[in-house]
Amino acid sequence: MAKKVMLVCSAGMSTSLLVKKMQTAAIERGLEIDVFSASQAEAKEYFDEISILLLGPQVRYLEGELKKVLDSMGIPMLIIDSRDYGTINGEKVLDEVLAELKKGEPPGFHEEKEDKP
Amino acid sequence: MKKLKEIYREVVSLQRQKGRGVSAQEISNALNINRANASRYLNRLSDKGWIKKIQGRPVLFCSEDLQEFPKKDEDIFSFIVGSDFSLKVPVQQAKAAVLYPPSGLHTLILGETGTGKSMFAELMYKFAVTSDVLEKSAPFIRFNCSDYADNPQLLVAQIFGVKKGAFTGADKSRQGLLKKADGGVLFIDEIHRLPPQGQEMLFLYFDKGYFRPLGDTEGEEKVEVRIFAATTENPYSSLLKTFMRRIPMVITLPPLGERGLEERYNLIELFIKEESQRIGKDIFIDKNAFISFLLYDCPNNIGQLKNDIQLACAKAFLKYKSQNKDFILITGKDIPQHVKAGLMMISEYRETLEQLLQQVGEVLKFQETYPSVLPATPPEEKYFYDIIEQKLVELKKENKSEEEINQILQMDIEMNFQEYLGTVERYGKEEIGKIVSHSVVDMVEKILRIARQRLGREYDNKVFCGLSLHLQRSIERIRNGERIFHPRLNQIRVDNSQEFLVALEVAKLIDEEFAVEIPLDEIGYLTMFLASKPFETKKEQQNKVGILVILHGDSTASSMVRVANALVGVDHAAALDMPLHMKPQAMYSTAREKVQELEQGKGVLMLVDMGSLLVFGDMMAEDINCEVKTIDLVSTPMVIEATRKAVLGENLEEIYKACKNIANLAGKDKETGVQLVEQISKKNIIVTACFTGQGASLELKKILEENLISDYELEIIALEILDREDFLAELQKLQKKHRIIAVVGTVDIPTADLPKVSALDVMEGKGIAALKKQLENEEMYNNMVKSLREHLTEIDSERAVANSRNFIQLMEEKLNLVISGDVKVGITLHICFLLDRLRKGKMIAPFAGIEEFRQNYLTEMEEIAAGLKDIEAEYQVKIGEDERAHLCRLFLQE
Repeated sequence: MAKKVMLVCSAGMSTSLLVKKMQTAAIERGLEIDVFSASQAEAKEYFDEISILLLGPQVRYLEGELKKVLDSMGIPMLIIDSRDYGTINGEKVLDEVLAELKKGEPPGFHEEKEDKP
Repeated sequence: MKKLKEIYREVVSLQRQKGRGVSAQEISNALNINRANASRYLNRLSDKGWIKKIQGRPVLFCSEDLQEFPKKDEDIFSFIVGSDFSLKVPVQQAKAAVLYPPSGLHTLILGETGTGKSMFAELMYKFAVTSDVLEKSAPFIRFNCSDYADNPQLLVAQIFGVKKGAFTGADKSRQGLLKKADGGVLFIDEIHRLPPQGQEMLFLYFDKGYFRPLGDTEGEEKVEVRIFAATTENPYSSLLKTFMRRIPMVITLPPLGERGLEERYNLIELFIKEESQRIGKDIFIDKNAFISFLLYDCPNNIGQLKNDIQLACAKAFLKYKSQNKDFILITGKDIPQHVKAGLMMISEYRETLEQLLQQVGEVLKFQETYPSVLPATPPEEKYFYDIIEQKLVELKKENKSEEEINQILQMDIEMNFQEYLGTVERYGKEEIGKIVSHSVVDMVEKILRIARQRLGREYDNKVFCGLSLHLQRSIERIRNGERIFHPRLNQIRVDNSQEFLVALEVAKLIDEEFAVEIPLDEIGYLTMFLASKPFETKKEQQNKVGILVILHGDSTASSMVRVANALVGVDHAAALDMPLHMKPQAMYSTAREKVQELEQGKGVLMLVDMGSLLVFGDMMAEDINCEVKTIDLVSTPMVIEATRKAVLGENLEEIYKACKNIANLAGKDKETGVQLVEQISKKNIIVTACFTGQGASLELKKILEENLISDYELEIIALEILDREDFLAELQKLQKKHRIIAVVGTVDIPTADLPKVSALDVMEGKGIAALKKQLENEEMYNNMVKSLREHLTEIDSERAVANSRNFIQLMEEKLNLVISGDVKVGITLHICFLLDRLRKGKMIAPFAGIEEFRQNYLTEMEEIAAGLKDIEAEYQVKIGEDERAHLCRLFLQE
């Protein structure tokens, strides 16, 4: 199943371009990852579906508020590096996401695409 | 006199080596002067009472201070304050280092300025002697690397000696101090100044026990010398790692602040007693003055404490002598202001103080009868009190009034306490010493001290730093025969006559010290440094551009001007109403009169609506001697902007442009393209500034280039700021073409809206780090602009990013916030997308709980609404309440 990556900013606006770039990068790399953005208010509705949550640097104050819930659900959270955010560096943020997701996996686990017949 | 001191020092050190008096022949050998001269000097010293003559054959001379050389089994360390408390560990370490078999350990002593490193090294030597580890005649040689900081080669040669021809100027072989110290101790102070080459040579000696003089490739000089070194710096960053690894013992002396009040009490007691001994009279100190000494902030540690106490004692002594008092009493009047400030800390230490001062009455008494075992006080200080007394007698003979005498002697006293007086803080001097030679730094200290006295004005580190850089450069220029020219010399002389007199006085000092002749123009520059506000000597009457609004209609102009003046909060703009029936000729003569009335030498801006009024300006330009510019189709915002800028003292051209800009904004839609292309290619620049544009600013430019130019796309431009207006105009010109990252200057830069970095910060490295950060930040925003360019369809990304950043900065001011760089990036992006969407007419996410939020953040929301006005106007959009609430939350949550 595709992993869902949610980016959160205050109104879901400033992250939209980054979402696009990350999604493109993911597709180019052949990864099954679904990237989308949400406003601060909407974010909670998606907690059931997502594999990781990214915060824009301007809303990093949400970290404390969200951490408890996310921890209890085992969802990792990252604050996007402001340089990557500012330069809208989709590739780089995607790398960070992949690295973070890998942490949660047991060692030696490779999510290789199964060859579907 | 200088020679005498040198002789005296030699007597002391030889006597210490030999443990007995010194003969004229020995002095003659040691200093390489003929015996007759040596004998003459020694006799003169003995006449003055500095040394004692012991009849015999040969006649020996000895310094009294050293007769009390400690006896064999006395633990010399037990005499120092804190040897059982704060210095317990250092003392144990020191003893271990001295006694460690077979020949002790090389030791590095760390500690801030004034913590007593040299004294400690000397005690270690004495301890070695009294413990029979070293011969009584073993030499103790001290060497301060900063004396040769501007000539590393000579420095290394001093320590290791040099073989003839090792470098230019080495015309004969010379023995180094390491050799001279054979069998004893070489104390190397400020060792962080020793260049890597020297450090390597030193650790070769550590490893092998021999060294090679400079230029000698074969010889192996074997010596047995214990090296004690000291530094105020962090050794791991200022010394070679390979060197540090070979230092077996590192002793750290605590700063005064960590030594507790009780020890400080004892130190004060010790120092006052020493003074008492020197004067030969009891010294009394009033309790509050004593508490000041206990509590004041003393960044240069014990050295400064001692100095400040000596200064106070000298002043009290003067009062005692000149006013025929019955006893020497130190009161609040005798202590420097920065010491007095200590009293303000009283509430923080009330309990400890009560305990400490339990037994103490309103006045404390100190007397000392035993000579101290601590290192001898140099004679010139010892006889300082005699000098005061002598001068006093002389001045009285000249029939000077008591007040005059007091003034003269106070000056003398303060001059004698050069090192720590005043506001020159510890790092300033240290840091600047790396770039400017020590003699210049000392001279600048002297200059500022004199100026402080004469002009009753304080000078901060910035002035200190700026003047040092300037002077260094000026002296070089004078020596090279380069001409120094001051275009505003006469103006400066008139505006700052007091400062000019002082500058003349210090110029003489500079002449003598550096054997140059300071030209009058240079004295003009010195005057500017001494003036409190060099650019704004006439701030009160600073001239402003006149603003005149002339409009058709019975009261249109006057009501518009009323609004503008009220909003700006001044009464600067003037109005002329032109009723429709009025003839242009009549209006012209009224207007001309008005313009002449408003003209203050900086021109007049006329704001008009239409018709004949448009040409008034041109007519006047020919008619009267006054620069007039005309803006047509005037609007209220224009009048407000013009008035505001005029009051701020901006020039006519600037104000004219600002009004034109408003006019453009009002009419324009999407024609920003042309302007933008040239903005995008903006280059980052840093401006360095000093009075001449050729002195300190060039030095700064060099430093910045060394540190920054390889990593960033950047140009550094040196400017002069002789004239405030010219400087600002020049900056503006640059700003049009480039992005000014910061202005780095030796003096306060008179501009409000550019980041400023002081020369001092640059030298300390803080400034470089700050500039780097700023440059990185700029690079990041540049990339942001590029990334956004293709995605923002409705607006220009460069302009939008710039607008957003301005807005954030404005909000930081208005809401009194400090927003971190990361968050700013996020908010900038947010605003850019917001503007793009609004231009597209797209919906924005509503803000949940807007009602409550509005209630809670009423004022903030209003500030934001006000701050967004300009952006709304430029982009022709309306930023609604929900959007503002989003922004508000972003700002506040930080």
